Amino acid sequence: MDGFAQEPVAVALLAAGVRIFGRSLKYHRPRGAVCLDGHCSSCLLRIDGVANVRSCQTLCRAGMVVERQSGWPSPKFDVLRAVDWFAGDRLDHHSLFTTSSVVNRVATGFVRKLSGLGDPPTAEPPAIAELRNFAAEVVVIGGGTAGLAAASQLAEAGHQVILFEKSHHLGGRLLDGACRLGEPEKDQPGWEILGQWKSQWQSHAGLEIHRGTTVLAVYEGDRPQVLASNQETTYLIDAQRLIICTGAYEQLPLFINNDLPGLLSIRALDKLFYRYGVVPAEPLVLVGNSDRCLRLAYDLAKQGVKLAGLVTQTQASEGIEKLKQAGVPLFFDRRVLRARGGRWLDRLELAGPDHPEPDLVLDCQACALEGPSSPAYELAHHAGCRVSFHSHSGYVVTTNEDGRTSHGQIFAAGHCAGALSCTEARQQGEQVGRACARCLHSVSAEPGGQHG
Amino acid sequence: MAKTIICRCEDVSLEDLIEGFRAGFHDLESLKRYTGFSTGFCQGKSCTAHAARFLSALRGGDDVVADPPRTRPLLHPTSAASFAGQITPGSDRKPT
Ligand code: FES
Repeated sequence: MDGFAQEPVAVALLAAGVRIFGRSLKYHRPRGAVCLDGHCSSCLLRIDGVANVRSCQTLCRAGMVVERQSGWPSPKFDVLRAVDWFAGDRLDHHSLFTTSSVVNRVATGFVRKLSGLGDPPTAEPPAIAELRNFAAEVVVIGGGTAGLAAASQLAEAGHQVILFEKSHHLGGRLLDGACRLGEPEKDQPGWEILGQWKSQWQSHAGLEIHRGTTVLAVYEGDRPQVLASNQETTYLIDAQRLIICTGAYEQLPLFINNDLPGLLSIRALDKLFYRYGVVPAEPLVLVGNSDRCLRLAYDLAKQGVKLAGLVTQTQASEGIEKLKQAGVPLFFDRRVLRARGGRWLDRLELAGPDHPEPDLVLDCQACALEGPSSPAYELAHHAGCRVSFHSHSGYVVTTNEDGRTSHGQIFAAGHCAGALSCTEARQQGEQVGRACARCLHSVSAEPGGQHG
Repeated sequence: MAKTIICRCEDVSLEDLIEGFRAGFHDLESLKRYTGFSTGFCQGKSCTAHAARFLSALRGGDDVVADPPRTRPLLHPTSAASFAGQITPGSDRKPT
């Protein structure tokens, strides 16, 4: 099979028409890539003899061996799907096979054989990573809009900054084709801003960027300690100041069969279409209200992609007018009630706001949905920073007006701290960068200096 | 079978949460332990907020889910070769 260098395996598979990536753990329901951002874990494959590799985070290489790891006899036709049919509404593992200890023992042995996530590796064990343990002035977690804005501010002020980005590409949402930033640039595409920043960094000696390096933990202490790793190196860094800009995870909304392959997040479709020129399947349905969703629908229609419709609550806007002119079927005041299809999406049932019964069925082979986007609060929570619950999104890292968290040495900015747009994330990032520089400055000005 | 899946990694459905709630698990931490959401490969990145919303709607207030379930290192599944024989990160730190 062909794939491009710099293209993730999952994207190459979708481009080649692969729909089912694997089977789910319990009911053996088919699974397909959803987020393409490394967090949903629906794209796990066995790659080069190692199980449970996220194929959306792994770049294609010539000669790579990619295998599906679940489903018997094959993930396309998995007899264990029967579990799903027989289980009815739910399978209660608390009471199953507990009538007698003998039955229980037999059943446990049987289930152990059937379940599990992938087989042990056949590849050579990887070399032990090199450990680098040192102290740093500022560590920034996340190379998206907020993280880059903060790091730029600090580097410009002459500070030593180490930035970790988990993906192979810097930029986060700035790379989304439908991303635009508002005032003062007004409607400037994200990648343009990224380009400007990149050219500025050339002159910042103090900025050290590690791509493809994941921060795994933050340990609490007078100085936060950051644990990060990539395949070759493990970093354990005592940070004088830490800035958390981990962004947010896009989620699919809840409806019946919301896990059917063919359903994916709007950001995943954005990435596929603008960055890699791939459309997962046609006809396609989009569900969402934001400008970026409308823009994506319009650009898809313009390129001749067959759209079965856009389901939206946004009624009067410039974007909607353009879509009407482009002849995209629009469905207002409807929600997705249920997805249908055997192993792959083939119909979506829609209903009015308070109607339990569907009143509209759309035939489609793929559907991108804009669900709640929940802030990536975990690393801040590791370090004991306060978080608060917002019902429209999830747990948000609590910050004061400077972007400081409840832990004096840790700041947070961007989507993880409640920003809702790239414009807001950028502002927060810059603000936090400045606030952090100020406090480093005042620390080093104190007698005894340098030891924040 | 028709299911609304909350947690894709562990196949936890909306029905499971309702059943867990009926069985008396009325807070996020114990509901998580009972149903197993947020304990799979992705470590709760796709389901925690959904489950919190569900519980807050059911109990009629965001206060009941004010705290997320305990998050523990490591955030992502990681190869043992990253640490083997070298370090116990955080060992000199107070556990949170
Ligand atoms: S983790 Fe790869 S598609 Fe979500």
